[in-house]
Amino acid sequence: MGALHRLTLLVFLVLFAVGAPAGAAAAEPEARRAEQALTAWYRLSLALVRHTPTYSPPVASRTLAYMGVASFESVASGDENMQSLAGQLNGLRPLPERNAGGTYDGAVVINAALSSVVRDLFQNTGPTGQRVIALQDAKLHKLVAEGLPRDVVARSEDYGRQIATHVLSWSRDDGGAVVENMGFPYEYELAAGPARWVPTSLISQQQLPLLPKWGANRTFAMPTGKSCGLAAPPEYSEDKASPFYAEALEVYQTGKTLSPEQRAVARFWSDDPMLSPTPPGHWISIALQIIDQDKPDLAKSVDVLARLGIVLADAFIGCWETKFHYDLLRPVTYIHRMIDPKWETLLITPPFPEYPSGHSTQSAAAAAVLTDIFGEDFAFEDRTREGDGLKPRRFASFWAAADEAAISRLLGGIHFRSAIERGLQQGRCIGEYTNALRTRR
Amino acid sequence: MHWLLPGITAFVWGFAGLAQACLAEPSLVVPRFIDETRSAGIDSVYSGEWEYMVGGGVAAFDCSGDGFPDLLLSGGSSPARFYRNASARGGALRFTMQPSGLELDKVIGTYPVDIDGDGITDLALLRVGENVVMRGLGDCRFERANEAWGFDGGDAWSAAFAATWERGAGWPTLAIGNYVDRAREMEPWGSCTDNWLHRPFVTDGRSMRKFANPIPLKPSFCALSMLFTDWNRSGTPALRVSNDREYYEGGQEQLWRIEPGKPPSLYTDADGWKLLRIWGMGIASQDIDGDGYPDYFLTSMADNKLQTLTSPPQDGPARPDYKDVAFAKGVTAHRPYSGGDLRPSTAWHAQFEDVNNDGLADLFIAKGNVAAMPDFAAKDPNNLLLQLPDGKFQEAGDAAGIASVAVARGAAVVDLNLDGLVDLVVVNRWQTAELWRNTTSDAGHWIEVRLSQEGSNRDAIGAWVEVRCGDAVTRREITVGGGHASGELGWRHFGLGEGAQAEMRVTWPDGAIGEWEPLNGNAFYIVERGKPARQWSP
Repeated sequence: MGALHRLTLLVFLVLFAVGAPAGAAAAEPEARRAEQALTAWYRLSLALVRHTPTYSPPVASRTLAYMGVASFESVASGDENMQSLAGQLNGLRPLPERNAGGTYDGAVVINAALSSVVRDLFQNTGPTGQRVIALQDAKLHKLVAEGLPRDVVARSEDYGRQIATHVLSWSRDDGGAVVENMGFPYEYELAAGPARWVPTSLISQQQLPLLPKWGANRTFAMPTGKSCGLAAPPEYSEDKASPFYAEALEVYQTGKTLSPEQRAVARFWSDDPMLSPTPPGHWISIALQIIDQDKPDLAKSVDVLARLGIVLADAFIGCWETKFHYDLLRPVTYIHRMIDPKWETLLITPPFPEYPSGHSTQSAAAAAVLTDIFGEDFAFEDRTREGDGLKPRRFASFWAAADEAAISRLLGGIHFRSAIERGLQQGRCIGEYTNALRTRR
Repeated sequence: MHWLLPGITAFVWGFAGLAQACLAEPSLVVPRFIDETRSAGIDSVYSGEWEYMVGGGVAAFDCSGDGFPDLLLSGGSSPARFYRNASARGGALRFTMQPSGLELDKVIGTYPVDIDGDGITDLALLRVGENVVMRGLGDCRFERANEAWGFDGGDAWSAAFAATWERGAGWPTLAIGNYVDRAREMEPWGSCTDNWLHRPFVTDGRSMRKFANPIPLKPSFCALSMLFTDWNRSGTPALRVSNDREYYEGGQEQLWRIEPGKPPSLYTDADGWKLLRIWGMGIASQDIDGDGYPDYFLTSMADNKLQTLTSPPQDGPARPDYKDVAFAKGVTAHRPYSGGDLRPSTAWHAQFEDVNNDGLADLFIAKGNVAAMPDFAAKDPNNLLLQLPDGKFQEAGDAAGIASVAVARGAAVVDLNLDGLVDLVVVNRWQTAELWRNTTSDAGHWIEVRLSQEGSNRDAIGAWVEVRCGDAVTRREITVGGGHASGELGWRHFGLGEGAQAEMRVTWPDGAIGEWEPLNGNAFYIVERGKPARQWSP
């Protein structure tokens, strides 16, 4: 059982045991109940990311951003020390305010908000996901509301839903709301030329690249998807003395001589869609593990999850804008063409252009934000992939984790070094925009 | 009759590379099917909610002794329904629902197999809850035999089945694939329960006429289809398992060594086995490329897979290293081909059969949304992919008249009226099962064969039948399992194209190879081991 599942199960064993006494909610501090609702919805969302077929990494990052904003605003609306993100995030207008003089329960507010957001953004999940959402909704409602005055519950739920409605309304026109065919366009013209991306699999659906217009989506904290653009990758060349050939040869030779540790690194960060919470979910999982262990106050928890969600979403928009601008071929294509037609990658080559590395960009962006919140030398253990039989890994800092996530793509044979190093560079740039947000008054 | 020796192996492989078909006709014959559901009297619905989102199978077998396949259809939360075949040869399909003892509820899948070797077909019923083996009593009556046969039905969500006779055993080995732990309602993902291997109870080195306690096949990854198959033509079938990645963690497709007297063991990457993770839902098997080894079609969501050995050995043992040729052969069947719904497909039962008797195995795929998943096609027509002489496939479901958009699950492609053309029955979720009669007028010649041998394994499960026309050889492995929740026992059909005669030989489950026998086309043959093939007429 993975870290995520273990923690989720613990929540339910402790909090939802049959026969819980009436008035249980009233007996628990509001912030404690709110924290439990917050983490329960997040953990379920990571499971739903894994089990909802449209949830490729960019799509996952978008949902996690809106969940973060909804969570943050639910808490900030009742905390005078917190600064709303309205007016700071692109297109986010001031949120509904609580009624002056009305009594609210913060746990009921955040639970109602997240319930609505999760139901909406995962409305396309399968019957099992729908079933679990409904079960969790009922159980969390009992957790947060039982024993509270009816008028407080009704007022708080209504307000939480208002926040959700506001956030979801804001989300509708960001360019990423409609994902068809699991993100693969029905029509797209592949560019001609030896340097351009070509399909790397024999999967029919993946003969066109994933989400080619994602880079034009509305960003959250950075101005546009082009705000952290990158210089061109090394010029394509088939000359064996060229830098491009040298980078391909590095991928090829590295893949041929992988140590067990290198294989473990590549597998740990592979974060394949449908088989993991995806790269953005991986970083949210890291944050949840830290929240579970360190138990920061609620304001900090929602700050972490909001800023992390925002920066991950911006990272995928920025990265995708650059990817489709340069439209570079994958290592496997070049290596088969120039070096070894039978070479196989350790990881599955993703179905979209190579430069820069998405995991590198988003991991650096995540590290920038988490370092800003928790500090430079914040050591932690990451057990995200434990359920898949992959051992936990320890890191001395968020940057150490980001660097490892980035190089894992070279070890896995799916990225050249330039895409990794410049992806990290791009992520740092994107992180600065999120770190400029004011979340405290 | 001679016996399989090392030198014989090379002879068997010697056909690799020859033309695949008996005699493929120069122009493609598009088959024609007529929906006879209503007139045939079929009105079974696979019903139920979450615990019945998978499954919904049909068993085709003859329990009346007239040679015509009778049908048992899973009912899900409703009782299963048995239909006795009342069709006339070559006529419209007619079935009569009648009590059989098989009318259990919570039945997901159903597979016919003569467990006790008495010559009367028995059935394995896969259920939500306890699985039940039903002993055939004759004249289409059945009784529960769990206790009599020492069969532990367990309490799981069982959705996959396969049967084999391990070498020397006088009792079958059954594999049962189990799905999600339905008790973990908040944590269904990662909750795959153990699959089971029911081997014969052995005492003093002899297998008794009952089952031992089931062996858990660890790890298990939410199997939705299983097949005992001699993938490397070693004479010892292994267990191929297709798993649903929606629910496993750290899982993949699996191939188990099942060697007599030894615990099961997985083939690993050290053996050449490659990681493949799909929404595995069904297995169909046939030697499509003529290399002498079975190929495997695996159903999934969006793209489906057709696996063939990457490097078929010229001599020496094969490695379980498969490449996916679905894209190259045009059988990805990843989205609806008609009706305008462009969303990805959801595929379940798959089966290779020659529907137009041109000597080339075609491929039927049952399609249907899991429930109402909006990212996947709601109107997802079943596929009928016709094999072309170049080994590629062409969609003909619409033209053939079987492009139903009901929510399909299990199916059987089987000759129901014994006219030499395979018909089609499909089980649908929440809707009435559908039945089509194959009325293709310009189809080629055919033969149908039923094997028989003395001993426990009466139907020669694990045998290989080869049919030769000129240089072209078609090979079929006789199996029980695979598909999606659906199985068949009885006539095995071969199209001959323009060939009015063919030769046939059988490699029996113990490796003994019969002689090539000339057979006239358009006829049924009962092949009793050690005797010349005997023509049979309804």
